[in-house]
Amino acid sequence: MKRHFGSWSRLLQSGGPFLGLLLVCGLFALTEERAFIFTGGNFKNILIQTVIVSVGALGMTLIIVGGGIDLSVGSAVAFTGVLGAKLLVAGWSPWTTTLALVLVGGGIGLFNGTIIAGFRMMPFIVTLGMMGIVRGAAKWMGNNQTVNAPPDSPVGQLMARVNPTEFWPLPPGVWIALALAVFVAVLLRETVFGRYVFAIGANETAARYSGVRVGWVKAATYGISGLLIGFAGLLQMSRLTQGDPTVAVGLELDIIAAVVIGGASLSGGAGSVLGSLIGALIMALLRNGTNQLGWQTYTQEIIIGAVIVLAVGLDQWRQSRRRG
Amino acid sequence: MKSLLGAAMAALFSVAAMAADKSYTIAVIPKGTTHEFWKSIHAGAVKAEQELAAQGVTVKLFWKGPLREDDRDQQIQVVENFTSRKVSGIVLAPLDSQALVAPVATAAQAGVPVVVIDSDLKSDKQLSFVATDNFKGGQMAGEFLAKQLGGKGNIILLRYQVGSASTEAREEGFLDAIKKHAGLKLISSDQHAGATREVAYQASQNLLNRFGREVSGIFCPNETATIAMTKALRDIGRAGGQVKLVGFDSGTQSVLDLKNGDVQALVVQDPLKMGYLGVVTLVQHLQGKPVDKRMDTGVSLVTKENMTQPDMAALLAPPIAKYLKE
Repeated sequence: MKRHFGSWSRLLQSGGPFLGLLLVCGLFALTEERAFIFTGGNFKNILIQTVIVSVGALGMTLIIVGGGIDLSVGSAVAFTGVLGAKLLVAGWSPWTTTLALVLVGGGIGLFNGTIIAGFRMMPFIVTLGMMGIVRGAAKWMGNNQTVNAPPDSPVGQLMARVNPTEFWPLPPGVWIALALAVFVAVLLRETVFGRYVFAIGANETAARYSGVRVGWVKAATYGISGLLIGFAGLLQMSRLTQGDPTVAVGLELDIIAAVVIGGASLSGGAGSVLGSLIGALIMALLRNGTNQLGWQTYTQEIIIGAVIVLAVGLDQWRQSRRRG
Repeated sequence: MKSLLGAAMAALFSVAAMAADKSYTIAVIPKGTTHEFWKSIHAGAVKAEQELAAQGVTVKLFWKGPLREDDRDQQIQVVENFTSRKVSGIVLAPLDSQALVAPVATAAQAGVPVVVIDSDLKSDKQLSFVATDNFKGGQMAGEFLAKQLGGKGNIILLRYQVGSASTEAREEGFLDAIKKHAGLKLISSDQHAGATREVAYQASQNLLNRFGREVSGIFCPNETATIAMTKALRDIGRAGGQVKLVGFDSGTQSVLDLKNGDVQALVVQDPLKMGYLGVVTLVQHLQGKPVDKRMDTGVSLVTKENMTQPDMAALLAPPIAKYLKE
């Protein structure tokens, strides 16, 4: 097991996705629309569009590095979003609402983690079930309807695009996402807990024999991811200015794709926060650019699908060469 | 560095502005792209493009639905991206009357005017609202059904989806008309068909499983719900006029059902006109002419009897192929 992660090797690990990002930028730079795509206002736009996937990808990186997966995050975003709108309508303050959403999100994650670790069940199955349960609960709570948040609530400002033609100021949501990213990166790279997560993902049996309390660590990764998902739910609600029980269908796949494009291995033991963020950026940039080029929606879907396969294929090829 | 970039950008834009004399880029953003309704809107927009071209006004159209249909967040992204793209204007059919308010306000702030078509938006930032009077359409459906049933019977209203202003107005109009007839009893009005044919079909089957024996008249406020309900009625052998069905909007299948007598009437809009007027209104504004805040594109009730009249036939089968080469 690698014990020391210097900044240099970290850069190398995220180098693949970073090159991908540069490549996509380069391709768009060849088009006539570059005058619109490469503007401050548009980069702000892309950042805001990436925030929800990014915050979700932070937690998913933890989970995937630990050898797990969570399919219920899209549903959890919808659930916490609806809950947030209802709480605001009920007169809760923005702070207590935020706290409640983060805790409820964490609760959902911890529930997943406890079942997975406690009963030694497949994460895919457990979270697939939770995907349906939480989605249904969201629709139930919203009475099958969207719940409109109070239009003057300060929560609505989290993702607001003030001064749309300029890069500055960035909305609070972007800064919060960045702060959370630093937190998770430190957690994963610089703490004992982070080492344990890597160890479990690389070889669970070995980790167990080395005295790592595998069950606890696993449950914790899902719990921490859940806290972040609760936050993503708040941001999603802020963006729509409503809690929509049908929002974020398939968001989990976008999040997983971002983590995987970012160099994580679905078999566990590899992945980085920076890589996942770049993965999320690549997808948002592709959508944004092809939108502005006026390409058909289906071409976007095909391209993003191809990028996922290519990114992972290249990464494996690179690693197999490194191993010699 | 920043000022240099700014100067370069300014130069670029001034060049673009010179070249762009009487030339506009317009993004038309529907709720989705697979319904035939949206293809008619697209055809209308292309018709406007062609007519304006004949007058020497060059319009470049972007036709772009949300990546995942009926996903509000995706539609917001499309609006934001075209705002960044600095198109001359946007013609938008909002998926939600509230969720799209902020992006439209942002577009207006960035100097990109937005004409809203089809479904209303809870905002005053849009340039104009070009749409069917949906409440009136629903009323027409209700009156027709009342007449067909001789003023008495059990009625089902299969709603479309929450948050979609256009269909909600139809539903309200329908309920308004039904209320006036004491003999008509509403036995279900709280079920939603949902966005796709498959879920609408399931909802219809479930409703008919419960109410199939007692129902005498049904109203469906959009194309997918109408088609799905017709199919479900056929399944239980009560189609063909046993249960009177009034639908909204027309597509290949629902016109066929009308001809076969499984659907008694379709309330149809003029989506081609909507797409057309959306683009034309926007261009008029860009040319500095005043535009109306609200434009009605009309509704008509089509039955088996009048469906062959040329004006009705054009509404049932808009000349899409003439404008869209597919």
